[in-house]
Amino acid sequence: MTKAAHRFVDHWLVDPVAKRAGVATLDVEGSQITAVTWRDGEAAAGATWEAGANPGAGDPVRMILPALIDLHAHARQPGASGSEDVESFARAAAHGGYGSACLMPNTEPAADSVEILDAMVRPHSGAALSMRLLPIAAATVGRRGEQVAPLAALVAAGAVACSDDGAPITDPRLFAEVLAAAATAGIPLIEHSEDPVQSADGEAADGAVALRLGLRPWPARAEHEAVARNITILREVAARIPRARLHLTHLSTAASLQHVRVAQASGLQVTCDVTPHHLALSDAWLMGEQRWSWLPGDDAISPSAAAFNTNLRVCPPLRAAVDGAACRAALRDGTACAIATDHAPHSRERKEVEFGRAANGIAGIETSLSVALAAQAAGELSLATLVAALTTGPAALLEGKLPAPTLSAGAPASLVVVDRLATWVPARANLLGRSINTPLLGVALPGVVRLTLHAGATAYSG
Amino acid sequence: MAATQHLLDVDGLSWPELQRRLAVAEQMRAIRRSPAGRVSDLRDQSVAMLFYEASTRTRLSFVEAAHALGAHLIDFDVSSSSVGKGESLADTVRTLGALGATTIVVRHDRAGAPWLAAQAFSGHVLNAGDGWHAHPTQALLDLAVLVRHIAASDGSLTGRRIAIVGDLLHSRVVRSNLHTLTAAGADVRLAGPAPLIAGFHDYVASRTLTRGSIRVVATADEALEGADAAMALRIQRERLDGASLGSTETYRMEWGMTEERLARVAAPSCRVLHPGPMNEGVEIDPDVAQGPRSLVLEQVAEGVPTRMAALWIAAHGLDAPPPVVPV
Repeated sequence: MTKAAHRFVDHWLVDPVAKRAGVATLDVEGSQITAVTWRDGEAAAGATWEAGANPGAGDPVRMILPALIDLHAHARQPGASGSEDVESFARAAAHGGYGSACLMPNTEPAADSVEILDAMVRPHSGAALSMRLLPIAAATVGRRGEQVAPLAALVAAGAVACSDDGAPITDPRLFAEVLAAAATAGIPLIEHSEDPVQSADGEAADGAVALRLGLRPWPARAEHEAVARNITILREVAARIPRARLHLTHLSTAASLQHVRVAQASGLQVTCDVTPHHLALSDAWLMGEQRWSWLPGDDAISPSAAAFNTNLRVCPPLRAAVDGAACRAALRDGTACAIATDHAPHSRERKEVEFGRAANGIAGIETSLSVALAAQAAGELSLATLVAALTTGPAALLEGKLPAPTLSAGAPASLVVVDRLATWVPARANLLGRSINTPLLGVALPGVVRLTLHAGATAYSG
Repeated sequence: MAATQHLLDVDGLSWPELQRRLAVAEQMRAIRRSPAGRVSDLRDQSVAMLFYEASTRTRLSFVEAAHALGAHLIDFDVSSSSVGKGESLADTVRTLGALGATTIVVRHDRAGAPWLAAQAFSGHVLNAGDGWHAHPTQALLDLAVLVRHIAASDGSLTGRRIAIVGDLLHSRVVRSNLHTLTAAGADVRLAGPAPLIAGFHDYVASRTLTRGSIRVVATADEALEGADAAMALRIQRERLDGASLGSTETYRMEWGMTEERLARVAAPSCRVLHPGPMNEGVEIDPDVAQGPRSLVLEQVAEGVPTRMAALWIAAHGLDAPPPVVPV
């Protein structure tokens, strides 16, 4: 990896730590940002952050953001390196503008030991990665939901959180035990909230699209009833252990987000994230309709030849447009602190099967920023909100395990340069991940990453 | 030669397109009645039957249809093939393509399987029923039978009331029939036990129809009131237990197509359909199934010309001149 000196003249800088955006020149030498010279002088920070971060028509096309941080990704190592490994993951992440990612422990075997935790982040080649990987430990032994994993040892080995992602902890007593043990170990529990009894055999969100396509329904209440239960247990545990923290990942229904909103208002330490696909797509995509969920729909459409695309099969499932709107509203009002990709690469053979038999998951880390920028271009999210959701929001949950995502002199030169007006079309030829199971293949997306630096080293250049 | 033509769905077919299909099927019926009973229009076609789910009527009528058009038949036996060793649908379809199949007829227990086949295959794919989703040729043959018996003066089903009663949730037949019947202008009423009609209220509310109408009603009597035709759907006995719907006798009393109920509420000339196989004495009484109202055997017979038309249109396109009846 080269560490060239860089001078970025008159770019649109967005610094979510300083809450400042505007035209500036940024200098990088070695691994650090050495100077940032704002064109409008040193005064204009803060007050107009939320509205002022959006560039105007005459502002520079090239934008610099701190390198993005993902709270939820699967690098498939160990166990499924045919789908992805940390090296292909790091290339994909850098292409997506990411400099850090938390890796979920649904590896094979599950990351419930220090040995597997190490194997999750160790490149086979031995070469240093151009990003920071933060392992998440299994919350229970084998992710089986029977016994709490040895969290203290796992945290000592680098785990930044614990989760049984994909295997909800159904036993309420064990859920309370994990919350308490995670608090003692100083990490949050990240929970995939789902009642597997209610969602059993579900193929698509319960609703008119599932019914029309004859797909087995996955009811919204399978998620929001689990969310409500998890919040109830957190309330009981937090009464004894105030440090207990619960983060609910990939929430997808309006009702789930409302439960979190109410719990936060009551002072509970519960946070949540939403995914790019849940905020921007809807179940209408299953009909072959490729339309952002904020655009008005045509209810007269019929399934096209592109219907039943298994790259849309994901858990929780894509839902109605109103649920996508609820995801965006949750980001705007701060209920959701992060956009997390749930990057879930799968090999062709796991996706080129009948819709109901396809593996759940979307490979999303290369398109996440573009999807967020599409929402921003439509006026659904401010640039300030989306940058916070991709940087400071996740960083806050990780409590100092990362350098602050800022663009200021003396900070590590971990940043992404984006051409905000250029568009690109995801395809096998331009995606760097090993698996390309994304429903956005062939869809024109705004925002082209030109350069990603990780501590001054070029992680991606295009 | 037209571009690749599939018959994956009837969702979205317009009344003029449906009329065109009915006209081709009518021509096929004439071919069947001709002295030779067959033509050789599709002699350059190889039709592969890929049935992942049991079928009597659909499979046999597709086989008969392929023969009547002179097509070569690749009768693929899923149970004795490498599918048992875990070969995927996509790989199986690619194998059939490599062996020269030009058309694949797919029956599958999962919704959307024919779309997967269409992606992996350069020829034509005909959906012979996919899970709960669609059964295009069944809906087309039902439409042909209904148009023959209860059409309005313009040949459509405008103003005709059609009741569909029973297990809607698991029925690909009802999903496809809703598209074709409303496109033909019919007013459709749906009724069934609450657990087996779940979601249809929202679905109907979400649809904007340019022709015909759909209403979900609470009882079989309401659905059948003034009906010109009534379709009973098969109820699987295991579902009666699973959904705690009580005994088959209770089901018959509440939802069964009985002569007493038809005589009391339906139009006097109301005709009765059933996609088969029937549970006589449960969703339909034997005297109805075999009585003068019944169109059940006509539905079965209609399967051959309807599927001949499907194969022929797949090969030649919807706008080609219809096949010539041999003299």
